[in-house]
Amino acid sequence: MNRGWNRIVPYLLILPNYLIFAVFVLAPVLWIVYLSFTDYTILQPSEWIGGRNYERLLQDTLFRKAIVNTIWYWIGTIVPTILLGLILAALLTMKIRLLAAFRALIYLPGVLSSVAVAMTWLWLLDPLQGPINGALEAVGIGGRNWLQNPDTSLPSIIVIGVWTGLGYAMIVLLAGIQGIPESLYEAASLDGASGPQRFRFITVPLLKPILLFLFITATIRSFQVFDLVYILTGGGPANSSTTIVTQIVGASFQEYRMGYASSMAVFLLGITLIVTMLQYWLGSRNTTTE
Amino acid sequence: MKHTLTERSLAYLFLTLIALVAIIPLVIALFTSLKGDEEFSLGGMTLLPSSWHPENYSRAWEMADWGVFIRNSAIVTAAAVGGSLVLNLLAGFTFARIRFPGRTPLFLLLLLGLMIPAQVTVIPQFIIMKSIPLFGGNDWLGQGGNGWLDSYWALIVPELAGAFGVFMARQFYLQFPKALDDASYIDGAGYLRLFFSVYLPLSGPLLATLGIFKFVSVWNDFFHPLLYTNSPGMRTVQLGLQVFRGEHQVQYNLLMAASLLVSIPILIMFFVFQKQFIRSMVSTGVKG
Repeated sequence: MNRGWNRIVPYLLILPNYLIFAVFVLAPVLWIVYLSFTDYTILQPSEWIGGRNYERLLQDTLFRKAIVNTIWYWIGTIVPTILLGLILAALLTMKIRLLAAFRALIYLPGVLSSVAVAMTWLWLLDPLQGPINGALEAVGIGGRNWLQNPDTSLPSIIVIGVWTGLGYAMIVLLAGIQGIPESLYEAASLDGASGPQRFRFITVPLLKPILLFLFITATIRSFQVFDLVYILTGGGPANSSTTIVTQIVGASFQEYRMGYASSMAVFLLGITLIVTMLQYWLGSRNTTTE
Repeated sequence: MKHTLTERSLAYLFLTLIALVAIIPLVIALFTSLKGDEEFSLGGMTLLPSSWHPENYSRAWEMADWGVFIRNSAIVTAAAVGGSLVLNLLAGFTFARIRFPGRTPLFLLLLLGLMIPAQVTVIPQFIIMKSIPLFGGNDWLGQGGNGWLDSYWALIVPELAGAFGVFMARQFYLQFPKALDDASYIDGAGYLRLFFSVYLPLSGPLLATLGIFKFVSVWNDFFHPLLYTNSPGMRTVQLGLQVFRGEHQVQYNLLMAASLLVSIPILIMFFVFQKQFIRSMVSTGVKG
């Protein structure tokens, strides 16, 4: 074997991957930070304007609204998703018959594309003919125009977010619970611990790393919410359901204010990095103390 | 472990309830797709169609260029899955089984990519796509045309290099004993032969996990086709569905039919490879 050639081969094997990674991930990250200090639009050359984008961002009431909405979406989806997911996963480990069927059915909405999900709910929530208003009227409650009413547009999207996200939380937690040694439960049963007690004192503490993982990934994902909002409400009515990414896309690809939009993207990057650091910090603290 | 009868009944009750909530919207969508047009104007509220209209599917099919959308999605998905598997496996194998100077820093650099949301890089990516030299009417400086925008390149190439796929592949290849490599080296094999004759045949589970993950994420992607393409001939199925809704006065039976049509590949995947599918989603940390 040619030793010189062998020294180059490893680099050649990772080269294609690195080239694409460098051009489409690393360079864009550095570039977005640079762009956020310019007034770049796709139509004219950019000029360095220092921190003016960020000054404007601080006073942008629309962007503040988007942040608040995104935080509501985050809380509104993450709490029910993880809580229900945990309960479902625990129930599925009770030597349930038809386990595979329950798991598949509950996970099914999660495999569909966000567009297919949005279209389905567009029909369900249709103000005139939709099944949800129809069912409500049948029991004497007046329906409403869920997606086009500022009070219900964001909550509707949150419900849809939970509907698609629940199955994923369930299967991740189920995998986690199945990794807990059966002997622990048997020992607890012998000591007279009830089902809920075993859940509280064995399952939950031992699932901590998985719960943390799920919490972090769900947090990061909910800060990126876009597809459902864009298709269902476009961020409206009256910006009642606009989110951070909706604003980024609007400012950059509809208004061509790429520089300003970049400062929003840097804000999103900042949040993501903070949350990820939090995961490493909490994760390493967990393993050292336990 | 034992559970009381009450505990078990409550468990079944709760599971059934949630399963119904998960599935009923899809059942409604399915039955809605088979209803006749007249049922909507009458405002009837039955779950089942009063008369069945399977021809809604061919009507929905004819109302838009679904052949084009499906061809685009199929090409992009196949190229992204195939290409990313080759690149990710090779890189993962290299990081796991070969010692070379700079291995650790290079790998850590790649891990940074895991933390960066696609929504953050999309603006510069767009500009880079537009400036690829000698494509889409561009000169050699990348000026004058659209570069890779509105072409398959824009949808395929960024999907090929996944920090995630390399990471997963590396984890997978780390679990094998060193003796496996030594035996192969003694036979005079180089790195490439080691990979192709020893490790690739062992990579079935990895191929399934990464392949399913990539298939689902690319087929279902809405964000990138929305921003990187604009001509009708370049639309993918997800984009086509969105446009389909806007082009006509909303006919929900046809919209539901089209929604189910574009979901068929994913549903087949899910039901046929359910075990691998679920393992893929759990281990890659991505909702479908």
